Amino acid sequence: MEKIVIQQGIVLSESEKKEIRQNRIYKILPVVSIILLSALWLFASKEVLGFPSPAETWERFTQLLEKPIKALSLWGHIFVSLQRVFLALVLSWIIGISFGILLGWSEKCNALFGPVFTAFRAVPPLALIPLITIWFGTGEGPKVLLVFIGALMPVVVNTQAGMRNVNKLYLDVGTIFNATDRQKLFQIAIPSALDAIFAGVRTSASAAWMVVLAAEMLGAKAGVGFLIIRGMDSGDEALVLLSMICIGIVGAMLAVATQIAEGVLCPWTRKGSN
Amino acid sequence: MENIKEPRQRLSDEERIALVQNQKKMHQITLAMLTIAGVLVFFLLWQMGVSTGLLSSKYVASPLNIFNLFVVKLADPNPDGAVLGVNVLASLEVSLIGFFLAIIIGIPLGLFMGWYKGFDSFMRPIFEMVRPIPPVSWIPLTIVALGIGLKAKAFIVFFSAFVPCVINAYTGIKQTSPVLINVAKTCGASHFTIFWKIGIPSAMTMTFAGIRIALGNAWATLVAAEMLAASAGLGYMILMGRQFARPDIVLLGIVVIGAIGTLLTSILVMIENRMLGWKKL
Repeated sequence: MEKIVIQQGIVLSESEKKEIRQNRIYKILPVVSIILLSALWLFASKEVLGFPSPAETWERFTQLLEKPIKALSLWGHIFVSLQRVFLALVLSWIIGISFGILLGWSEKCNALFGPVFTAFRAVPPLALIPLITIWFGTGEGPKVLLVFIGALMPVVVNTQAGMRNVNKLYLDVGTIFNATDRQKLFQIAIPSALDAIFAGVRTSASAAWMVVLAAEMLGAKAGVGFLIIRGMDSGDEALVLLSMICIGIVGAMLAVATQIAEGVLCPWTRKGSN
Repeated sequence: MENIKEPRQRLSDEERIALVQNQKKMHQITLAMLTIAGVLVFFLLWQMGVSTGLLSSKYVASPLNIFNLFVVKLADPNPDGAVLGVNVLASLEVSLIGFFLAIIIGIPLGLFMGWYKGFDSFMRPIFEMVRPIPPVSWIPLTIVALGIGLKAKAFIVFFSAFVPCVINAYTGIKQTSPVLINVAKTCGASHFTIFWKIGIPSAMTMTFAGIRIALGNAWATLVAAEMLAASAGLGYMILMGRQFARPDIVLLGIVVIGAIGTLLTSILVMIENRMLGWKKL
């Protein structure tokens, strides 16, 4: 706005005026779309049977803070889910990155383990839920294991691809300077594969969040996935919608957190990604 | 010294090439052997673990059992009420409907959002609000709104495939080389012509990557959708296997899901190679 005020003395050309007008429209449009979306929500809650209105959802939210389900408030359930996700994520990062480096660095290891891993990867983690319940029951461990598997795949795949695509020039420079294999691995290959590894980490966070949800929906006593199913079973649509919103917010926060972590740990990879 | 030097001198160019090629071939043979060994050892360990009783057959079925069951299941509807072929077709129907809808709606949406700023600033907030919600969590609302039929499942699958389509088409068209755009502008092309003739073709690589992700998502979400609400399909078959405590059924389902997923992906890669062959000159 200030800029425009300053420019008032200057004569603006037609196209510049047009651009300013357009920019104003661009600023208004998001607001319009949000208003439209809210209107749609209100309309849906009136027309579609059982669809909760914003007010009902808000009410359910305040109610849930006071009256906990299964001795846990909303925050408690979110915390339970997050705990599972974090445990599984840390495990999958440690194991996935090492395994990915192994596969990407040594052709022989890749030939040995690659095919079995690829076959294993083709199975969606959600399809493993029944098998894991047969094996380990429905406790805390099996859920973490499932999330771990779901998060492991993107980490391994990305790490492997990153190690594969290390610029050969860098490695040749290392050879010229008489670097040992170990130095080439730790000082050249891994740092230059870091951005690919981090892409895997980011994917794994969202994958883990999705898997924990599905695992909780198929059998759990706490967690946001449990809340959703609880809402569905008791016909409490406001609870369902509320949990969905919470899931969305937490998922978005997880994505932002990994992005910030990436910015801190390897700032050179940040290149205007969305 | 003599010993080492002499054989080197005797090598002609052809011989040297042959030597290097030979080494390469040996290397490849070693890799191939390792691959075969890895797969074989995996299956052998599995089979032996089951047949020696190390892994209880209550929990695991051996590969041979699974193969036998596969043959039986082709014609036998027990225990989940449908033969394997019907389950596969049911799953394919749902996932492909959702997947194609996602492509038809998602890619144009992403392309338009990436090209027209006004449209972008209008759609962005809505998309950003919807995007972080995992498709699985739509299931309860979908069941309320659409029941548990084909439509509901296809909607959930659609949702999971829709997001990567939009994001990749959007990123792809944003990365269009400004040089190409400027050339077109200099030649007097309209905004829409540039979009159509330059933006879309150059966005195709990213878009196809998105389609591949979408296919994987669609196939993975399908399983979840079928587990929560279905009366046929591979996910349902797995779930029934668990309820009847039949690990062989569960494992067969998992293997079939994995195999079909791989098959679909390789078909997609073939299509991609054919359509984008001009890019890899």
